[in-house]
Amino acid sequence: MLAVSKLNHYYGKAHVLRDLSLDVGTESVGVFGPNGAGKTTLVHAIVGLVRPRTGDITFDGRSLLRMPTYEVIRSGVALVPQERELFPYMSVLANLESGAAYIPAARKGVPEALQASFEMFPILKTRTRQLAGTLSGGEQRMLAIARAMMSSPKLLILDEPSLGLQPSLVTELFHKVRDIGEKSAILMAEQNVRQSLKAVSRGYVIENGAIALQGPSDELLHNDHVRRAYLGL
Amino acid sequence: MRIARYVPYLVGAAVAATFPLFSGAYLEQVAGATLIYLTLALSWDMLLRSGQLGFGTAGFFGLGSYAAVLLFLNVGVQPFVSIIFGGIVAGVVALLLGLAVLRLRGMYFAITTLALAGIFAVVLRNFPSLTGGAEGKMLPSCIFSGDTANVYWLILVVAVMTIVISEVFERTRIHVALTSIRNDERVAKSSGVNVFKYLVFVFAVTSAIQGIAGGVYAHVFGFVSPEGSFSANFLLLPLAMALLGGIHSTWGPVIGALVLGALSEYLKLQIPYGHLLVYGAIIVVVILFLPQGLSGAARAWRGRSHAARGAR
Repeated sequence: MLAVSKLNHYYGKAHVLRDLSLDVGTESVGVFGPNGAGKTTLVHAIVGLVRPRTGDITFDGRSLLRMPTYEVIRSGVALVPQERELFPYMSVLANLESGAAYIPAARKGVPEALQASFEMFPILKTRTRQLAGTLSGGEQRMLAIARAMMSSPKLLILDEPSLGLQPSLVTELFHKVRDIGEKSAILMAEQNVRQSLKAVSRGYVIENGAIALQGPSDELLHNDHVRRAYLGL
Repeated sequence: MRIARYVPYLVGAAVAATFPLFSGAYLEQVAGATLIYLTLALSWDMLLRSGQLGFGTAGFFGLGSYAAVLLFLNVGVQPFVSIIFGGIVAGVVALLLGLAVLRLRGMYFAITTLALAGIFAVVLRNFPSLTGGAEGKMLPSCIFSGDTANVYWLILVVAVMTIVISEVFERTRIHVALTSIRNDERVAKSSGVNVFKYLVFVFAVTSAIQGIAGGVYAHVFGFVSPEGSFSANFLLLPLAMALLGGIHSTWGPVIGALVLGALSEYLKLQIPYGHLLVYGAIIVVVILFLPQGLSGAARAWRGRSHAARGAR
C-alpha cells in the first residue's frame, strides 16, 4: 500500500535520510530508532510536510511526492503528530468531529465513526462535552488517535505516541494500537522498542537516517543488536 | 434560563436599531463613524484568527471608496450598487494579490499588505483624468442628501452583516480550520485542511468587507482623495479597537470599537487631536495589562468568580 524507496533528505548539510526504503502492506509496521534518527522526518516526508531531495513515495500506486499534504490526507492517510494534535479549548466531541470535517469523503460517515471511536475508547463517550485540554495526558493521546481514525483511514501514521506517558498508560496505548491494526494499516514511529514491538507485526530500525535492521517483530526482539542497544539486555 | 442568555443581545439589537429615534444628528454621526470603525476592526480580526497579521485594512478601504465613487460618477448607477461594487473590487483585488502574498507569513505578510495599501494610493493618484489625482473626486451630493438617521441605518446594516459573517466564521468548519492554521500550520495540513485556499478565501472576504465600508464612507462624506481615503487612521484605530476589546472573537472587536469610538469622540471635544495620544496610550496599557483585551479580562474574571463559588 505504502512504498518508500531510496529516500534522501538533508537539513542544510546534515544528511538525515540516507537511501531509506520501506514498505507497509495491510499490516502494522514499526519504525524504531533513537532521537534524531530521522523518524519524524520520514513521517513528514510521507505526508508531504517535508519534500525529500531524492527518492519516491507511493501510496496505492500513486506518487505522493508532489501532492499537497491535505490531498495526501484525503487520499486515506491519517497522521497523529507528535504535538499540538488537539484543540485544548474545544470539547472532546468537537475535536473528534474535526478529524473528519476537512476530508470530504469522510463527512457522511461521522455518526458511524463516532460510534466506532466510543467503542474503541469508552472513556471518551463519558467526556464528550469536556474540554480536550482538561483531559489527562493519556486521555488526550487516546483522543488524538480517535480523532485521526474519524476519517476511516487506510493507513494510520503515529509519530511517537508513547512520548511523555506514564508506563501503565503506555501499555494500554499499545494495546489499542494493536486493536486498531486489525482494521487499518499502521506505521508507527517509536523509541519505546520493548513495548511497541508487541503492537506491530514488522519493524525497521533506523540509525543515522538509514535502515540498520528490519524483520518480523519476534525476530527483532531476539536480535542481539536490538537487545543490546534498545532493550538494555 | 436559556432565554435570559439572549437578553443582552436583544437589548443591544433593539437599542442599535432604534438609536436615531432618541438621539440627534450629532450622536447619529458619531455612532455611524464608530460603526464604520467597528466593521474594519472586526474584519481585521477575522483575518487575524488565521494567524495572519494584515495591515492592508486602510488600503482595501480606500480601494473600495474609489471604486464606488468612480463607478457612481462615470456610469451613474444607484449609490447602493456602487457600494457593493466597491466591495467586489476590493475582494477581487485581494483574491488576486492573495494568491501571491499569502505565500508569505508573519512580519513579511504584514509589511507587504501595508505596502500594498501605499501602492493603491500612488496608482490612483497617478491617473488624474479618471481619479482626480491628488485632489480626488467630489460627489455632487451625499447619500440620502446627508440625512444622518438614514446614514446611520445604512452603516448599521453593514456592521450587522459583518457581525453575522464573523459569527458564521466562528460557528462553522471555517473556525477550526483557521484556528488550527494559527496554532500550527503543519497540524492543520495534516488534518486535511487546504491551508492556502482558506487563507485566500478569508483575505478576499475580509477585504471585500473593508471595501464596502470604504464605499459607504465615501458616499457619506461625498468625496475621495488619496490622503483621506487611505488614511492610516483606517488601519490604526480599528487595530486599537480590536486589541482593546480582545482579539480572536466577534464580540471583542465589537465591544472595543464601541468603547473606543465613544471615548475618542469625548476626548476629541476635550483635547483636540489629543485623542490620538490616548489611542497610543490605550494600546500600550492593553498590551501590558490586558493581553486578552476587555472580553478576555471579563472571561477571566467570570472564571475566577465561578471558581470562587465552586470552592465555597
